[in-house]
Amino acid sequence: MENFRGIKPVPSEELDFIVPQIQVFKLTNGLTVYFVERHNLPILRINIISEAGSKFDPPGKKGLSNLFGMMIDEGAGEYTALQLSDEFELLGSNFDIKCTSDNIYFSLRTLKENSDKSLRLLASIITDPHLLKGDYEREQRKVLTRILQLRDDPDEVANTAFDYLLFGKDNPYAYPILGFEENVSQISIEDVKLFFENFFVPNNSALIAVGDITRPELEEKINYYFGSWKSKEINQIPGSIPDDQGLRKIHFIDRKNSVQTEIRMGHLSSKRNAYDFFPKMILNNILGGQFSSRINLNLRENKGYTYGASSNFYYYKDGAYFIVSTSVAEENTASAVKEMFNELHGIRKGVTREEVEFAKSSIIRKFPSNFETNSQIASAMSRMFIHQLPDNHFQTYVDKVRRVSVEQINQASLKNIFPDQMITVLAGDKDKLAAQFAPEVLVEINEKGIIL
Amino acid sequence: MNLLDIKYEKYKLQNGLEVILHSIKNIPVVASNIWYKVGSANEKRGKTGLAHFFEHMMFQGSQNVAKEMHFRFIQEAGGSLNGSTGFDRTNYYEKVPSNFLELILWLESDRMGYLLPSLNKEKLENQISVVKNERLERYDNQPYGLAWEKIIASLYPDEHPYSWPTIGFLNDISGYTLEDVINFFKKYYSPSNASLVLSGHFDPERGKELIEKYFSGLPSQNSLQNLSPIKTELSKNKLIHYEDNVNLGRIYLAWHSEKAFGKDDACLDILADILSGSKNSRLYKSLVYDNELAQDVSAFQYSGKLTGNFMIIATARPGISLKMLKDKIFEILNDLGKQGVSERELLRSKNGIKSNFIYSLQNVDSLADQLNFYNFYLDEPNSFNYDLKRYEEVNGKMLSAVTEKYLGRPYIELHILPKKVKT
Repeated sequence: MENFRGIKPVPSEELDFIVPQIQVFKLTNGLTVYFVERHNLPILRINIISEAGSKFDPPGKKGLSNLFGMMIDEGAGEYTALQLSDEFELLGSNFDIKCTSDNIYFSLRTLKENSDKSLRLLASIITDPHLLKGDYEREQRKVLTRILQLRDDPDEVANTAFDYLLFGKDNPYAYPILGFEENVSQISIEDVKLFFENFFVPNNSALIAVGDITRPELEEKINYYFGSWKSKEINQIPGSIPDDQGLRKIHFIDRKNSVQTEIRMGHLSSKRNAYDFFPKMILNNILGGQFSSRINLNLRENKGYTYGASSNFYYYKDGAYFIVSTSVAEENTASAVKEMFNELHGIRKGVTREEVEFAKSSIIRKFPSNFETNSQIASAMSRMFIHQLPDNHFQTYVDKVRRVSVEQINQASLKNIFPDQMITVLAGDKDKLAAQFAPEVLVEINEKGIIL
Repeated sequence: MNLLDIKYEKYKLQNGLEVILHSIKNIPVVASNIWYKVGSANEKRGKTGLAHFFEHMMFQGSQNVAKEMHFRFIQEAGGSLNGSTGFDRTNYYEKVPSNFLELILWLESDRMGYLLPSLNKEKLENQISVVKNERLERYDNQPYGLAWEKIIASLYPDEHPYSWPTIGFLNDISGYTLEDVINFFKKYYSPSNASLVLSGHFDPERGKELIEKYFSGLPSQNSLQNLSPIKTELSKNKLIHYEDNVNLGRIYLAWHSEKAFGKDDACLDILADILSGSKNSRLYKSLVYDNELAQDVSAFQYSGKLTGNFMIIATARPGISLKMLKDKIFEILNDLGKQGVSERELLRSKNGIKSNFIYSLQNVDSLADQLNFYNFYLDEPNSFNYDLKRYEEVNGKMLSAVTEKYLGRPYIELHILPKKVKT
């Protein structure tokens, strides 16, 4: 064998990477525009994000914003639902709508040569949806079946119950985006129309454009197509920071005959604008943010309990939480939970300089590859809008990561990871779980997260 | 300028390793992608899943790379990495900042040449446990998760290499030995059985030098015979019932069809799109939109090196029987066979396929994989235009003909039903 094989190669020259220049401007109706000009391929991506997510669903009407998202492209302008879909496809354009807790996302991918026609279709959906009763009833029945169907999915069941226990019944983030069967069946097309009028406005939305177009062309097109979208003052529901729910026990949902247990464990955390965002990010990278982090190496590569385990700080606009999740063979549930707690206690004892250097190197060097596709660049700009990040966020990003010290990360662990406050949810077979935990620590909940 | 005419350079090292270089100066990242010409089709019954298991062992370190360090070195470089296994092939890929090109060539060459000295029982047992969990998580504990393996077990005879699932059977996974892994490596992981693609921001001359340095000294085994196709057909329809932890029944229909890049392969792809690719597609519009018999429906042509199969899958709404779904599906297939498709339907599918070709050029990692894909099936990496042309040439007459030819054959019908509640 050649001698050089024993030596790990070092990187060649340092790289130059310039973050794409992000332009931000506003239309007179309040629509914020984020734009990156790129001419490498004759394609264009246009996303619209509107802060009209499920957090605005009123009590008793959980699932309303999702129904709105499903309805908005069921006929608009001069086209019926089927005609709209037909027109997009004939252009070879991909169009999609997605609802989340905070926002509704519209994403459009088009060839440059078809950008005008595609934008015209998008604009009619945004500004002139039909919202007809007949279409509504069909979509409503589809959601009701979907809700039933999702109860089969162990991952989904565990997440839904975890969110409810984590945020508590008074917080809008506690509820599934699709809503509940008993609510969805009561929501009417009139509710959907009201939602459209009250929450779906340009002054609460952003248009994100990436691709083969110049600034003057883009301005002209979006003024033409979206300039007539009427702004309106809206009564924003203030994002309430929920209280700690004080739930320290191990909650489980009985899934008869399940061969694995889905495990979720976590607690609320400080928001995206907290001073220690960057230390938290590096901390999580060490703890459970990637393959080589502590939790995965322990549970997967050392113990062989799982195919994968991870942790994350998840940021909504008006709230945030810390979560560790995995799924394991039923018989290893208690051992896996124990190891997860060990890691949470362990990280509070401190991280090593090597771990910090590794995590920083990984994040900093990965940075350029976050800007390869139009879709990645659009996501980056979406985060700027959602969290109202400064225009130079990506210009200063690498520097901010580089400046984080070991001491700041250890402080962040002590201030953000609380093993004694973990809310734990298991979705697995009751009999097999009961054999592994003391009866006094186990609490049975239903699929909504309500304690039985 | 033809966007889909991808410039590349291809050559072979002395030891038989194929090399394909595609340099494109976009952002400063480079992707490496290696295909080994071995997949689950090369396994034997009793050792199913070994090709996929082997993929796991390839991340456990090699003679000069300690356990866990393969992942760590690439993550430290800000890269991403993974592998995947199918019936026909196993691939390994990384994307790193351009200045780490040498690192990934070192890592890939070390495990191509020197995996065995670092193997031990502890690694074997750990990964057996991980892969068993992978199977439980992704198949056994998923609603409808066992459908695919039930279908292929009926569609193909037991001796057919596509008759068992890539992940393998749980009992087989538990029984792998070090000897299995060693023999598998010696037989299949030879440079002469692999092709390496580099795509992205790198200097081709420098790329060649480094590939020469790291790969040319690796010893090669004798080259392998291709698997020969086994003629398979169903003599009659087969109906299978299975009860699962689900709320809604689902029907699966599966026919023997055409192999990858065979004469009718592209036509069957377009047929699948016309049946279920959009709101206006035949099955979706009728089953989901107009009649609300189904919650979802999909159709696809799955094709490999040896053969292919065409599938239609539909989930019943509450109160709708699978018999009703099946009758409606066949009514629509009959109409399509007899009356053919409209020009507009055909154009819609073709335009979608064409623009997806262009959108797919954005990632160097997917480009690298696509170059290997074409090289494997067609022996020509730059086949984007050839591939697109296959779709452009499909016409209504061909669609009617393939519908009658393939979907008129005997088929497998799988019903997955909710478990009966015991009172």
